[in-house]
Amino acid sequence: MDAWYLILSVAGVTFGSRIAGALLMQRIAVSHSVERFLDGLSVSVIAALVASLVAQGDLRTATAVALASLVMLASKSAIWAMLAGMGVAAAWSAWF
Amino acid sequence: MVSSDDAAQGAEHPVTILTARGVWRGIKRLLPISVFVIPFGSAFGVAAVDAGMTPIQAFAMSALAFSGAAQFASLDFLVQPVAFWSLGLVVMALNARHVIMGAAISPWVNPLSPAKRVLALAWLSDPNFADSQPTFKAGERDVGVLLGGGLVLWGAWILGTVIGVAGGTLLGQLESYGTDVLMACFFAAVVAGQLGKDRRLALSVVVASFLAIVTLNWLPVGWNVILGAIAGGLLAVWRGVE
Repeated sequence: MDAWYLILSVAGVTFGSRIAGALLMQRIAVSHSVERFLDGLSVSVIAALVASLVAQGDLRTATAVALASLVMLASKSAIWAMLAGMGVAAAWSAWF
Repeated sequence: MVSSDDAAQGAEHPVTILTARGVWRGIKRLLPISVFVIPFGSAFGVAAVDAGMTPIQAFAMSALAFSGAAQFASLDFLVQPVAFWSLGLVVMALNARHVIMGAAISPWVNPLSPAKRVLALAWLSDPNFADSQPTFKAGERDVGVLLGGGLVLWGAWILGTVIGVAGGTLLGQLESYGTDVLMACFFAAVVAGQLGKDRRLALSVVVASFLAIVTLNWLPVGWNVILGAIAGGLLAVWRGVE
């Protein structure tokens, strides 16, 4: 029975975290500075997430992520970027 | 699902809608990525059953919580008696970035009616946020793409969990094909795409990444990402004012 309470607790807290940000912003007028803050926030949260994944991974992950970033900058295609990253990771696994 | 009551918003906010057509676009956008969520879901299914959950409980948790990090972490608390306060704090820390993402996407979500706001945000996760935010920035007005992306990821997460509890450990072998780095590569591509459009954000990205790495080992799990994100946001304001 405790497992069900655990499941409902995790679900409840997670749901709260999903709606909290937008609720908070209802009280704040979106000025130019706030807009810039949100722009910086949205790209930075994803960048920080990638950095954490790379820091917890190995050289293989870092190489894949670096290649994917370069391919994205050059091709503007997320699909090609992901394929390049996955390709180098697969090749790495095959060799080492 | 199209409605006109969504038009009540301040002059600063873009006019947004939430339609089934938008949801369908979101589903199509994230369907390819979702396929790679299945192995992660199956890993959770296997871990949940190992930790003592019944198959139904593992399934229910993936369906109700839909949060990989929080679900894996909570399995450590599955001993008698459950430490609910610690569990709550850990889940909050792991999911605090949802608050950041919810705030970042609020200019497009908040013009909707309260019910649609909740609907749009209920399936908010990293991949559909990473995909939708730049799309909204580029002029998309249908918040359905966020919801649709979330729904297809959710379906894949549940399907993966079911495969995992049914004993499908063979999916773990997919790692050798490079699928384990796919999410990191997708997020990296989103960041690179944003930088391609707005070079002024480069400083934010560099500082956010640097802070997230150096504080990884001395902040509670998840908070290094929050710290990096807030620093990146503040730097963007400073660079934008120049």
